[in-house]
Amino acid sequence: MKFTPRTALVALLMLAAPAAFAQTNTLNGIQNMRRSALSPIYDGNEVKGYVMFARGDKADRKNDNYLLDLYDQNLAKISTITIQKPAGRYTLLKNTFNGSAFAFYFFNSKDKTLEMETYDTSLKKLGSKAIGELTKGDLRVLDGQQRAVDPTAGGMMLGLNLFPVPGLGFVRNGYTGGMAKGYTLAIYDNKLGMHWRITSDENAKQYESLSITEAADKYLLGIMVRRDGLLSRKTTSYMVALDAKTGKKLLDLPVETSATEQLSLSSFTFDADKREFVAVGEYYKLDDKPFVNKSQGLYVKRFGENGKPVSTKNYGWHNEIAALMPAEAKASLEDNYVNYNHAVVKGANGRMYIVAEQFKIVGDGLGIAASILNGGGGSASVSKGKVANMLVFEIDPQATLTSVKFYPKTVTNAELPPGTGFMGAGLLGQIMKSQGDFDYQFMQKNDDNTQFNVVYVNFDKEKGEKAQTYIGNIAFGDNGKYAVDKIEMPSGPTYSYLYPAKPGYVMIADYFKKKNQLGMKLVKLNI
Amino acid sequence: MLRSTPNPRISTALRLLCLLFLTALGPYRVAAQDAAYRPYYSSDTTRLYQLAVAQRNAVKAHFVLPKTGTSDYRDHYRKVVQETSDDVFNSIRYSALLDPVVEPFVQRVFAQILKANPQLPATARLVLTRNPEPNAHAVGNGTVMLNIGLLPRLENESQLAFILCHELAHVACRHMENGMQQRLLALHSKEMQREFRRIVNAEYNIGSQVKALALGFSLNANYHHRQFETQADSLGYALLARTHYEAPQAYRVLQLLDTIDEPENPAPVALPTYFSCTDFPKKFGVAPAKPASIFTVQKEVTALETSDTLKSHPDCGKRMRYVQALAKGQIADGPQPASPPDFARIRAASRLEIIQSWFDYDCYDHALFEALQLLPQQPHNGYLQAVVQLSLFELRQHLQDHTYFSVVSNLSAHNPATFNALVTTLHDLRYDDFKGLSACFAQATGPEDAADEYALAARYAASALAADAAAPATAALKTQFEQQYAAGRFAKLLFPAPPPKAPGKHR
Repeated sequence: MKFTPRTALVALLMLAAPAAFAQTNTLNGIQNMRRSALSPIYDGNEVKGYVMFARGDKADRKNDNYLLDLYDQNLAKISTITIQKPAGRYTLLKNTFNGSAFAFYFFNSKDKTLEMETYDTSLKKLGSKAIGELTKGDLRVLDGQQRAVDPTAGGMMLGLNLFPVPGLGFVRNGYTGGMAKGYTLAIYDNKLGMHWRITSDENAKQYESLSITEAADKYLLGIMVRRDGLLSRKTTSYMVALDAKTGKKLLDLPVETSATEQLSLSSFTFDADKREFVAVGEYYKLDDKPFVNKSQGLYVKRFGENGKPVSTKNYGWHNEIAALMPAEAKASLEDNYVNYNHAVVKGANGRMYIVAEQFKIVGDGLGIAASILNGGGGSASVSKGKVANMLVFEIDPQATLTSVKFYPKTVTNAELPPGTGFMGAGLLGQIMKSQGDFDYQFMQKNDDNTQFNVVYVNFDKEKGEKAQTYIGNIAFGDNGKYAVDKIEMPSGPTYSYLYPAKPGYVMIADYFKKKNQLGMKLVKLNI
Repeated sequence: MLRSTPNPRISTALRLLCLLFLTALGPYRVAAQDAAYRPYYSSDTTRLYQLAVAQRNAVKAHFVLPKTGTSDYRDHYRKVVQETSDDVFNSIRYSALLDPVVEPFVQRVFAQILKANPQLPATARLVLTRNPEPNAHAVGNGTVMLNIGLLPRLENESQLAFILCHELAHVACRHMENGMQQRLLALHSKEMQREFRRIVNAEYNIGSQVKALALGFSLNANYHHRQFETQADSLGYALLARTHYEAPQAYRVLQLLDTIDEPENPAPVALPTYFSCTDFPKKFGVAPAKPASIFTVQKEVTALETSDTLKSHPDCGKRMRYVQALAKGQIADGPQPASPPDFARIRAASRLEIIQSWFDYDCYDHALFEALQLLPQQPHNGYLQAVVQLSLFELRQHLQDHTYFSVVSNLSAHNPATFNALVTTLHDLRYDDFKGLSACFAQATGPEDAADEYALAARYAASALAADAAAPATAALKTQFEQQYAAGRFAKLLFPAPPPKAPGKHR
């Protein structure tokens, strides 16, 4: 720990009452630390705590003691839940909070089961449930999910998830068949009693994957991607709305409203003020494939509760968007960079913000040479990815694109798996996302949807100096101002991990391998 | 007619009279300012270093390594002595207060106790520390460490004398030596070692079993510690009774200690008075209160906290009853008459030292809180005004450097509600707010005309908050400060050398 007068005072007062001196918490005896060991607990939009999942000591010949250490949003330790589960074969997939209960979703790789445990806010256990007989599709998805660097990547293989539904419980998704051809959705109450379960039509010709995106009003909203086969690159996006109480499908509409459109769907929300569904995504050339090829621009579509289109607005990269691009951004557009949309949010002021990051694929000379020497085979990749600048698009309530903000950052390289060289830009963006190649980390929102901030990492290098890692932060919201803050990453720790935090803060966890110590701190953003 | 036109002749005479009055008052005001207490500072740390080294050596010399016992026990003993002596060195080197007002006063009280009790060890020493927590403790070699934070909480010299007598009683009874020996012997006893081996060999649930063993060990140690406290109260009372100080005050000390964790001043800080003005009409405490936590977990309390018989110190109530019996009912009960002038002066000086101590320890939230609590009583105190401006400056600096977390406390049930209210405000502040806060505060407290380091540092801080460090007026103040106070208290803090840069790793 860095010596500061304040830490010296803490040392002097060690034997005094446990005073809360700073917004930090230092844990000792941490032998190993991965980013996924610590995850934020959300209540609505805001981070209200953290859970650390750790393997403790042996419980008996077959089981270990696993610890769920819970902290509040100020990093004060709340309590520890100890569970005894198969040694070395138990992982936490997800923690979630629905306003009245916590749910922890585990994968027991020894028994090949998914297990859920729920607790009330006093951490009294409410229920537990083991889901056995996982389909091959479930296991296939789980495998990919556990190997993904960024498990929130989304895309076509959306992973196994547990989604909080305030007032009702938790929704769990699953995959049917050996090739994950269809989906299942089931809702459980806080005691894990199942209320309803829906499953895709066994006789459906297409592959279907459904990801729940939001519990809004009376709806459970989701994005359905349908395609002809598991490896088919031709996909169609559908907007799905379910009655949260009954699971009845109220809406299942393609986002494409005519045969002359090719659209992908990034965000599907419900505007309770206007009683309209809002779809945001990208549009493509008629011959191209959504999600696969390079898109032509962004679109925003609005639909009535009856599913009828209300309005459509397209924003072309080279038209509306280019016109608003700052001069310094135009070079990157001409340099063939395309955008990966990380987040779409709607503010309380009715404005919509789309956060994107530029990337492109370039041929890798060495990879190509190795490929030729191997007679075209081998595992060397012939292409590599490049990740560049951040962009924020702002659309006013009248659907006019009002500004494009450009935040330059140092270009970083991404290694692409073999065989990806001939894929389209859209699909490569999904792969890069799941590999954790993008610098975007997360977006934070306050409960009122009046303030947002996008957090990313930048590797900056001043002339004559060593490269320095910075946490970039773009803040915007109801006050109409865009502010940028730059936090220098500490150089002392073996690793530093970045997590979302309460509004106006980020949480940095510094791991010191030699000292087996983890220091967590809440860093107030200078916005 | 409600207003009359003043007679010009009378007006001129009045003006002359006022001028004469002000001329007469002028030297007095200057004298009053000269007499105003300022926290002690010396850039020469030679005395501190020498004292720290001497005490470190004294601790090492005092704790003689036992010739018996296992090698583990002896190694552990050596390690504890090393750590204790290092702690003593650091405490003295970085926090001993050798000022010309408070320190001689407490040393005089200490000397009178020793004089009245010649049987006490001749090696007994008192060190006054700048630690703001209200506490005192004894070190095994006969040194008593008295925190400055305790002094304002006492009402008179006799109460201070009892505190020192209590600590000297620990020294006389060799409680530190005995306590350490008992703990180490218990830790290295055959029974404990056997139990520890059994747990480790058991292979399973080691963590919880070691935790249970440690708790049992702590309970046992606390049991012995309680006995020491009762002995120290008893002997401390006897030592006090031999002095000219009032022995009944011992009871009152325990009464005060019983409520020492409660704030001395329960009044909320008047934030709107100082930090809201026409140019910066900030509203405080109007944000809708959000639930602090989604958790409704009852705080985990250990047996050490729940059962009085298992605490290291007996409850003050029990100690009071015990002392009452010792004093045969001759006790000072309830608030005592206003402090005698000498002691009142010491309390007042200590309060300012405490504020400075919080500030020097980078606890700007505490420094700000204490200064704002004192300001209504001393609205023209230039030092308090300076601390507020300097704290705002440092807070903004840390916000800019993303180290705000290290200088602003967390909300905590251990804090007084009034302090938590200030901390909540500090958490909500934005960078631009500090400019407005500083300007409003300057308006509310009026111009500061003192000519000392604190005032100049505060003027620089206010100027930097109003504009930026590169502005001509701010730069001029910086130059002036560096010329006048190059070796001053705030030189390194306000104008630090830029740290070297090094790359970090991020995952």
